[in-house]
Amino acid sequence: MPLKTLKEETAETLTLEWRLHVKDYKLVLDKKRCVGCEICSLACPKEAIKLERQEKKAGEKAEHAKIDIEFEKCNFCGICDVLCPFGAIRVTVNGEHLLSVVEKESFPQLIRDIKVDSTKCPVDCKECEEACPLDLIRVSRLTVDGKIVENVESLTEEEKSRLKVKVEIEKDFCPCCGICEVKCPEDAIQVSKFFYGKITIHQDKCPDGCTDCLDVCPITGALYLSDDDGKVHVNEAFCVYCGACKVVCPVDEALELERTSINHTPVRSGVWNKTLEKLASPIIMTKELKAKSSQKARESVEKRLGWKVGIHEQE
Amino acid sequence: MNKSEKRGEQNQESEELRIGVFICHCGLNIAGVLDIQELVEFAKTLPDVVYVKDNRYTCADPGQEEIRKGIKEHNLNRVVVAACSPRMHEPTFRRTVSEAGLNPYLFEMANIREFSSWCHPSTPKEATEKAKDLIKMAVAKARLLRPLQTMEVPVINKALIIGGGIAGISAALDLAEMGFKVYMLENSESIGGHMAQLDKTFPTLDCSICIEGPKMVDVGRHPNIEIISYADLLSVSGYVGNFKVKIRKNPRYVIEENCTGCGECRDVCPIEYPNEWDMNLGVRKAISVPFDQAVPLVYRINRDYCIECYKCVDACGARQAIDFEQQPEEIELEVGAIIVSTGYDIYLPYDNPLYGYGKFANVITSLEFERLILAAGPTGGKVIRASDGKKPRSVAFIQCVGSRDTGKFPYCSNFCCMYTLKHVVQLKEKYKEDVETYVFYMDMRSNFKGYEEFYQRARELGANFIRGRVSRIFEDPKTKNLIIRAEDTQLGKPIEIEAEMVVLATAAIPKKGSDELARILNITRGSNGFFMESHPKLKPIDAPTDGIFFAGACQGPKDIPYSVSQGSGAASRAATVLSKPTWKIEPIIAVVDPEKCRNVKTKCGICAQKCPYGAIKIVEKQPAQVIAAMCHGCGTCVAECPADAITQMHFTDAQILAQIRAALETNPEDKILAFLCNWCSYAGADLAGTSRLEYPPTIRPIRVMCSGRVDRDFVLEAFRLGAAGVMVGACHLPYDCHYISGNWKMKARMEALAPMLHKLGLSPERFRIEYISAAEGVKFAQVVTEMTEQLKALGKEKIKAENKKLKPVLENMLKRKKII
Repeated sequence: MPLKTLKEETAETLTLEWRLHVKDYKLVLDKKRCVGCEICSLACPKEAIKLERQEKKAGEKAEHAKIDIEFEKCNFCGICDVLCPFGAIRVTVNGEHLLSVVEKESFPQLIRDIKVDSTKCPVDCKECEEACPLDLIRVSRLTVDGKIVENVESLTEEEKSRLKVKVEIEKDFCPCCGICEVKCPEDAIQVSKFFYGKITIHQDKCPDGCTDCLDVCPITGALYLSDDDGKVHVNEAFCVYCGACKVVCPVDEALELERTSINHTPVRSGVWNKTLEKLASPIIMTKELKAKSSQKARESVEKRLGWKVGIHEQE
Repeated sequence: MNKSEKRGEQNQESEELRIGVFICHCGLNIAGVLDIQELVEFAKTLPDVVYVKDNRYTCADPGQEEIRKGIKEHNLNRVVVAACSPRMHEPTFRRTVSEAGLNPYLFEMANIREFSSWCHPSTPKEATEKAKDLIKMAVAKARLLRPLQTMEVPVINKALIIGGGIAGISAALDLAEMGFKVYMLENSESIGGHMAQLDKTFPTLDCSICIEGPKMVDVGRHPNIEIISYADLLSVSGYVGNFKVKIRKNPRYVIEENCTGCGECRDVCPIEYPNEWDMNLGVRKAISVPFDQAVPLVYRINRDYCIECYKCVDACGARQAIDFEQQPEEIELEVGAIIVSTGYDIYLPYDNPLYGYGKFANVITSLEFERLILAAGPTGGKVIRASDGKKPRSVAFIQCVGSRDTGKFPYCSNFCCMYTLKHVVQLKEKYKEDVETYVFYMDMRSNFKGYEEFYQRARELGANFIRGRVSRIFEDPKTKNLIIRAEDTQLGKPIEIEAEMVVLATAAIPKKGSDELARILNITRGSNGFFMESHPKLKPIDAPTDGIFFAGACQGPKDIPYSVSQGSGAASRAATVLSKPTWKIEPIIAVVDPEKCRNVKTKCGICAQKCPYGAIKIVEKQPAQVIAAMCHGCGTCVAECPADAITQMHFTDAQILAQIRAALETNPEDKILAFLCNWCSYAGADLAGTSRLEYPPTIRPIRVMCSGRVDRDFVLEAFRLGAAGVMVGACHLPYDCHYISGNWKMKARMEALAPMLHKLGLSPERFRIEYISAAEGVKFAQVVTEMTEQLKALGKEKIKAENKKLKPVLENMLKRKKII
């Protein structure tokens, strides 16, 4: 079969495909999960992803930007998949979600550091499930033999005490905002962000009544409308630094967003350095490079000294 | 030689002219139509003709001996042979006369075979009259011929081979073994061509890469061969023996000298993309070679897909072969001969909805099948369906997809019958009774050594052969099987067959970029788009441009043995140039008369502007200078010169005017005078003759090297003498001209002249410009027929009346230019 190249768009998905006689490459964008942040379009090494800002309709809330992928430029490397904070893009080869860039260590993975100690969970607590802005947490209660108990209220206290709590988080789609951690009454969840940074809104520059950034922010509570000045303010504790707000902000410099570090698996790769430069800043990139090289230097010195020590010991 | 030079000097103005005319019967080719005796008697009446002789075959030894004898016995100093086309035998007879001590340029030919007996067989009387005119024109020109000395230019004994397929490889190895330096230019990453893509070869079923691989390695290792791969040809200038070639080497981002071909970079590369070399059935890495046996074995980074992770740089390590900063590099070569062996492409029938190619997953082309059945291919040699990955239990092969189709490619693609038989045999031998095969064919062509026996083998293995064209293929939406509807012409009824896979034997088509290459090399393409040889039978390897030769399928579809033989043939043809220290150049160049050149007094330089080769140098206050070795002898400058200060040797104004006058001496109102360029329209007219296409005997052709030579004065003189019509025949625009752009110069000149003539009362149908290629014999015949009919419709009386009005005006114009 000759190479078939397909690009299909539906209300829910955008699909790109290379269908070869022996192999099938597929990229699927889940439009429901996409929040119109800038990460993929910044990171794409082939500059194939374009953000399309949506025209604001009078009297309606602002819509987040939509992404479009240029078929001719896409090489199905999957870097967008790896980096999407919301797991909205999925690249598969022959239906399997195995990314060669990760496997060959050409690109790091984001570290979604989420620890749940469900032994601390009270049997009737579902705070985290209710708090998750993206509805990614499922709390269930299991009997000793692993059966799910739906109706906890009907049980006796003794029966309740024998139940186990299970907290399931769909990690792949989690941007690690940490709301669940804050809302947990028992300190059972610990979440580290993978993007660190700084976000500032200069309220003096905000047009009156503009809430565009708030309208598109995927994390409830990261931005809020202040009663004092009627302007949008930031709660940095919950911000995931995705940048969806910056994309729609109508005024230059009213909203400043800077990513200062990214929590990722270790990797030595040119494309990662470039991505880092684009996602964060050249300064951050050099910092990371320096850290790497000094670590490398340290390792090599240790190795040498260790070898010398070995000689001494022999003597 | 001394004698001839002496004789040449003697026959300046004062010498008494003694012309001999030799009329050829060409067996019955000429004598069967024309009245030879009448021609002989007529020739005797022509001025300065002292001896006339007819021969059965003038080109044969006894005929040539007659000429030599005639020159000696009758002291002839001009020779006219009335026979076939000068494109055929002019060189033969030039040699004959020079053997008898006459300067070869004191010879002229009258083309009474292609231009008369072959194209007017049903009107022998008129054909004879036309032949008389042709002889009269030749004699008129002969009276004004001057002896010329051929020039010699040094030859660079290196060759360029464009295209490293099996034909180019054969040519390269042969030339290199003869001791010549060979540059092999390959546009893709590796040499090998289509043959390296194939699994087995017919009729012996030996593995293709196993027999070609060692040859490729030989090319790579030969001290006389330098491969320049992944590079493009930018320009070629110069002439036979002295070509200057510019090439751009595209960046591989891998340093050729440092790359060891180990492939460690490929193993770490994370990026894959469809491998074109695998017909996009499989993938290759962003840093890779197209196939393992590639020569040169140098990796390449495809920056369209590379994400620049630099894993390859790490893997390459101390070898430091990877260089992301590499830039394209331009190099210049000097060679004496060029062999074009660019091969062919395979037609992909996306545009034909009949076969469902590109739409139905289990319809593939034969070349795709080849990659499937190849053990080193993307499926590891398993023939599997794209729809479900299963082995098909029935395969239908469809022949002549695109080929032998008047709506698409009218020609036969030569090797499809044989490779389909091979596929059938391979399938049958591999899967035995598990697979049923059907072949839908128009005719099975198996006419070379061992081929018919191979056909027999396929039949014995139980393949089903169905003679008939396929009318439509449908896909079963559930099973993805294919339903083929066809007519079985042997049963005489429609049939329907279900197959699990369909393989299309698609046409071989001219390589992409052939038009560009034709332009760069100044060579022509036939109507099918393949390169046009100088003569289909006697010069099947030579391009019309000296020093350029063809090998392999670029000139027309060829199988492997044929391509290999032609590669060797091209090598030996190229060696005829390369082995000589110097090459003789025809002295039909332009010469400037310093007395007449206007540039001495005023600023002119028109000739230099119009010269397609930049062969004319203009220095202020000095007459224009023609650089002889660069002049190709098109004569464009001669026609353009406002002072008539330039003369083209052997095609002088006086000679051509004499031909015009001779042609129109009697009954001009019945005749069309035609100026035909040597390479295209004259050759097209020859082809009309060789194809025995009959057209009215009204035309009187004059050969010029290029249509750019046709001076407006020639047209004016023809109408002054009362010609019914004038036609200028040229090579096709934009690029077919053998002198780069002579046809464009002619077009501009004649398009300015036509309105003036119309204003003076000339009916538009009497003056015509036609672009006729060497392959368009049919068009030539049609044009003459059409023009004759138009002139007939116009009426002799009308023509005469127009002429009466035109004549005094034209006379004035020509008198002012001292032409009459």
